[in-house]
Amino acid sequence: MDLNIKNLWVINIGGVEVWITETIFNTWIIMLLLIVIAVIARIKMRSFDEIPKGFQNLAEAAVEIFDKFARDTVGEKLSYIAPWFFMVFAYILTSSLLSVAGLRAPTADWATTFALSLVTFVLMIAMGLRHRKGEYLKSFFSPHPIFFPLNLLGELAKPISLSFRLFGNMLSGTILLTLYYALTPIFVQIGIPSLLHGVFDVAFGALQTYIFVIISLMYIRGAAD
Amino acid sequence: MNHPLAFVIAVAHIAAVIALLNGILTVFGQAKVASQAIESIARQPEAADSIRSTMFIAFALCETSGIYGLLIAIIILFANPLINTLINFLG
Repeated sequence: MDLNIKNLWVINIGGVEVWITETIFNTWIIMLLLIVIAVIARIKMRSFDEIPKGFQNLAEAAVEIFDKFARDTVGEKLSYIAPWFFMVFAYILTSSLLSVAGLRAPTADWATTFALSLVTFVLMIAMGLRHRKGEYLKSFFSPHPIFFPLNLLGELAKPISLSFRLFGNMLSGTILLTLYYALTPIFVQIGIPSLLHGVFDVAFGALQTYIFVIISLMYIRGAAD
Repeated sequence: MNHPLAFVIAVAHIAAVIALLNGILTVFGQAKVASQAIESIARQPEAADSIRSTMFIAFALCETSGIYGLLIAIIILFANPLINTLINFLG
């Protein structure tokens, strides 16, 4: 039983050791998968008709549903950030589905989720400065300048809580499944784990993806509106 | 209890259980959210969609404290910094 993230290779770039861990390798697999799907969609887009059917129907429905969801959550004015969050949605969902295939989900590593939530944090500040300018900076000093440290801590806690929520859910699923595979005899490892994978990877993964995206959008709306 | 390390590992397991006890209060919070959401869906079935999405967000926010407890338990069990300190201290 090994719960740690394995290190696959160590590459030496100009005297600096770069560790290629399981997380990075699995991220490459997801990137490859998503890029292939995107290229196929782009090629098929040339032959799109007025009346959608088949693959076109699926692609249009996915984009339209996500656009509507983002517009409802974040408002019409900020809806131009929807493509980024569609990418985040696709990435997190694919990574939690990856652990069904027996690979470790990249989101079960705090580095991945913290990177994703750090982007949300930067976007939040940038959107606040862009749409509300001075008023956004003034909101740190409301209702009284004495509250500034408290407001600052509240803002800094946002990316940490956002990343820990996703990380904790994915890590607990990974640990439970590793324990199950390590502690049970071989004849119950066929068929029964699919139920556990269905709950911890598919159901919790989809729910946490939805929650990550919707809470990121709500933070951005709170900063910019 | 002959070896100090055995004592530290035993205490670490008890500490992990205590860290996980916050799940009780987390579940009470989530139960309150769920009961209120069911009540409002029963009162206003036409608003069920927006109530359901709000309910999931509230679930996630309530869940945060439970996740923190879980992570603290995992750190205590698998990545405990104090055990290395103790091994260095014992030499």
